[in-house]
Amino acid sequence: MLDRLLYEDKGVFLQSLHTVVTLAYLTVLFVLALLFSHPLYLSGMLIISILAVLAAQMVDKWEAYLKMGLGMAILIVGVNALVFRTGKTVLGLGWIRVSLEAICYGAAMAIRLLGIMTVFCLFNGLIRPDKLLRLFSRLAFKSALVVSLATRMFPLAARDLLKAREMLQMRGVDYAGGSWTERLKKYSWLLDILLLSSLEGAWQVAEAMEARAFGTGPRSCYHTELVRPRDFLCLAASLAALGLALYAKVKGYGDFNYYPQLDPLLTGGSAMTLLALIMTSLAWPILLSWGWQLCPYLRSKI
Amino acid sequence: MAALPLFEIKNLTYYYPDTPTPALKNINLRIEEGEFVLIVGGSGSGKSSLARALAGLIPDFYGGKIGGKIYFKGQDLWNFGRRCLRSQVGFVFQDPEKQLVMTTVEAEVAFGLENLGLPPKEMLRRVAEVMSYFNLSPLKKELIGNISGGQKQKVALASVLAMQPEVLLLDEPTSQLDPVAAAEFFSLIEQLNKEMGYTVVLIEQRLERCFHLADRLVVMERGEILQDGSVEEVVWWQVRNGYPFLPPVAQFFGLLHHPTIPLTVKEGRRELKKIWACPLNLGKVSPWKGYHGRAVVEMKDVWFSYPGGCEALKEINLRINAGEFVAIMGENAAGKSTLLKHMAGLLKPGRGRVIVLGKDTRTTPLVQMAHEVGYLPQNPSEYLFRDTVEEELQFTLQNLGLKDEGKIDAILNQLQLTGYRKLNPRDLSSGERERVALAAILVAQPKLLLLDEPTRGLDYCLKGELGRLLAGLTKEGLTVVTVTHDVEWAAEYADRIILMFDGRIISDGPKNEVLSDSLSYSPQMARLFRGLARGILTVREGLEKVRVNGERVYAGQSG
Repeated sequence: MLDRLLYEDKGVFLQSLHTVVTLAYLTVLFVLALLFSHPLYLSGMLIISILAVLAAQMVDKWEAYLKMGLGMAILIVGVNALVFRTGKTVLGLGWIRVSLEAICYGAAMAIRLLGIMTVFCLFNGLIRPDKLLRLFSRLAFKSALVVSLATRMFPLAARDLLKAREMLQMRGVDYAGGSWTERLKKYSWLLDILLLSSLEGAWQVAEAMEARAFGTGPRSCYHTELVRPRDFLCLAASLAALGLALYAKVKGYGDFNYYPQLDPLLTGGSAMTLLALIMTSLAWPILLSWGWQLCPYLRSKI
Repeated sequence: MAALPLFEIKNLTYYYPDTPTPALKNINLRIEEGEFVLIVGGSGSGKSSLARALAGLIPDFYGGKIGGKIYFKGQDLWNFGRRCLRSQVGFVFQDPEKQLVMTTVEAEVAFGLENLGLPPKEMLRRVAEVMSYFNLSPLKKELIGNISGGQKQKVALASVLAMQPEVLLLDEPTSQLDPVAAAEFFSLIEQLNKEMGYTVVLIEQRLERCFHLADRLVVMERGEILQDGSVEEVVWWQVRNGYPFLPPVAQFFGLLHHPTIPLTVKEGRRELKKIWACPLNLGKVSPWKGYHGRAVVEMKDVWFSYPGGCEALKEINLRINAGEFVAIMGENAAGKSTLLKHMAGLLKPGRGRVIVLGKDTRTTPLVQMAHEVGYLPQNPSEYLFRDTVEEELQFTLQNLGLKDEGKIDAILNQLQLTGYRKLNPRDLSSGERERVALAAILVAQPKLLLLDEPTRGLDYCLKGELGRLLAGLTKEGLTVVTVTHDVEWAAEYADRIILMFDGRIISDGPKNEVLSDSLSYSPQMARLFRGLARGILTVREGLEKVRVNGERVYAGQSG
């Protein structure tokens, strides 16, 4: 289950983008999902995110997120409908009285939640953790190194913990028996061992780092990520979508009043045109992805 | 004018912080450029400290008191800038897990270069070249956690070489590797020394793997250099003075007082044929007694898969009898440790049955198993946590509800630990810590002892002591099953060898039968006698064979 949530190299177009570009694209999707409250705009963002999932061949990964997301979405709609009764359009569902506005508001929030979860799914599936780490290491190397060391050492610590537990079990320690205080004491022995071993291990790691000139002066930064035409195209599309979205927000096209009564869904041609433009901009990397897959000529050019 | 030596050490004495005895005592040593120097000695002899001193880690990183001088390329080593020194002296440590810090192979190789502040283009070139040289390019994006131990050590070496040092210091770099990965590692080192001209200073315990590569041999004891010279000189010195730091082939010819001492199997076979006319009948391997005696472990059609889906044991059928000393061997991830854990009851079979001392491990609680089965994982000394040695032993007895009744005294005495009774186990040397871990298990007087890589990190003497101890315990009725990569040790002390490959037992029988003809797991003596005599695995057996079967021929030739 956990493996499905982690990064997996599939060699798809969206994974081949520069980390900064992928990060920018996902940030725009995330910001837009928070920025808009209009149900059509929110649905548009969700549709784009799902298309990106399809283009990145991450449906299996997304299913895992969807299972969590759908449960929470239903909960949001249900709780919102039951708790908020400020809407004017009251629906009688047997002995329960709920307002249409509360249901619609809950549904819009559920779409927003699904959109955000899909963006997180894309983040995990499209960005190699070490590339991200290297990106941040330019800004804060020591913090990035700590994260890198923790990533490397955590599985080792987990393995040591398991081995220590096995060794103690074979020395008669029964983790299933005794009162909770006795069990706590038994687990504290494991922590003692882990602490002592980690301290010794930390010394060895530090010595190895010292031997490889760590801390001997200013560092440089190794990077192998290339910038290709596709990166410029996708970055431009993301920035265009952000610009259009901000314009829509200023104009109030992306906003929607749910209470006390629902605004009309279609408010005018301009709002819909702007939505179409934003979606087209956001769909640009996805269209390029399909073109990259199907057209060798395009592939060689971008 | 004579060329300057790469390193020159004059009267070096060093004390680690808060220790009354010196780790290095009055060391004088010259290392020429392009030399391959092999440093041997027992645990605590100062080998690693000497390597750290050459790398400038002593006293820079460790602190402590130091006297004397180290010159590197004619200049005082301690006056070299840290960055300059680190870029010229590369150090590969014992444990690959504890020297790799980045998440991917490529990032790891680049780490040292970033620390040196090299420009990006230069880093790119060096990383590409070194990865290509070590054939690591297919792994460049691989996460470090996903590659094998052998690959990790290769990455560690590559990351050091990317810094383009002039000298390579290697501190037991193959102690964690299986024989195949170790052989591959040493062939790389040989290439670097012979074809690229790197100066190599190697510390190693398993000498059969690397002895022939060295130009010079340095023997250390208690922080001092006992002997330093060409390999041949030091070999003769060792033979005359009874030192054990020789590979079996050299030991064999040394004990025969042969005029020349070969260092490789090829040279050895040439010399052996000169002195010993092998009989037409190669002799017979003593027949296996088979499944006699009381069964201690019975495994019937055992299959096991880890939760991740990896099938670790396949169709295992096995019987181990009381008093046997069994060594399980095979490449990394062959299923050896998994098999051992099944015998301990720590893992339960997916299919099939494991019966240990008459108890089915699937239905018997682990605590009950622990009364009769002792188990030590790899590096057991890392899991000692009580304040004194005595408390470690008491801990086992208390948990198992056993009374002391002189057991602690007896086991401390047997393992020569009585003097350390009130000391903290973590303050002891590695060999002593291993003995404490063993004592903490043996104090419960188990009937079956399971050990995972017990010789890892032990020197020749300590390995010998451990082997003799275990062999002695089997004579008292204890059954010992051990996983090991140490072919020479298994050949010397075990009775029976189980070879595993890809989760299956591919060979099981008496050691002479299994190890004699194995390609990767035959000891040096078996390779020396291949086609000349059967079933010779140890120096002792070789000497007996030559002296008994070929005494007349041998005496005639040499006389």
